[in-house]
Amino acid sequence: MSYFRVQLIRSAIGLPRRSTDVLKALGLKKRMGIVFHPVSPSVAGQIMKVKELVSVQEVDRALTKQEVRLERKPDPGYYVEKSGVDERAELSGH
Amino acid sequence: MFKPTSALFSGLLWKTPWRLSSPQKARQRKRLRAVDQVVDTLSAALSRQGKTTKAVERWYAEMPREEEMLPKDKYTLFDKKEKSYRKSIHKLPKWTRVSQRVNPPGF
Repeated sequence: MSYFRVQLIRSAIGLPRRSTDVLKALGLKKRMGIVFHPVSPSVAGQIMKVKELVSVQEVDRALTKQEVRLERKPDPGYYVEKSGVDERAELSGH
Repeated sequence: MFKPTSALFSGLLWKTPWRLSSPQKARQRKRLRAVDQVVDTLSAALSRQGKTTKAVERWYAEMPREEEMLPKDKYTLFDKKEKSYRKSIHKLPKWTRVSQRVNPPGF
């Protein structure tokens, strides 16, 4: 099952009430907000109403809120080879 | 140096240029292509499921794509009050967030 990943790029401020309501129905509250909806004609029709305001991708699965946040997290620049707990366990084992 | 211009002489005077600058035109093309891309994504996703929807079909039937449009239609729109029947598209309210691609029949 595939999903639409919809991101609000332009706000609907000053546009007809209808566009704001469609965004609300899609669950888009703020600019750059991301929502996932299963691919269906009714969702496609809703997106068509606000096609000038959003960017759409087709994805295989819907990400959770946490996963979307993690996507935005920058690379820390290091990786953990071994944690202190593991090292201590190894030493005490010897 | 004080330069006497109509904007400085009178109180509130907004000067909207009569034509678009070339970066404005480039951004307009970019927005047109972005809308095309959204519709293409919707159509491709639906057709993969063997479905379609009226709004998408109608868009393809009625609206030209960015590359098919004439420069005249990209940057200007019909206006019956203008002498040339065309005015620049930035006179259209909310012009960066609405789709304006076709002319009335005969124009």
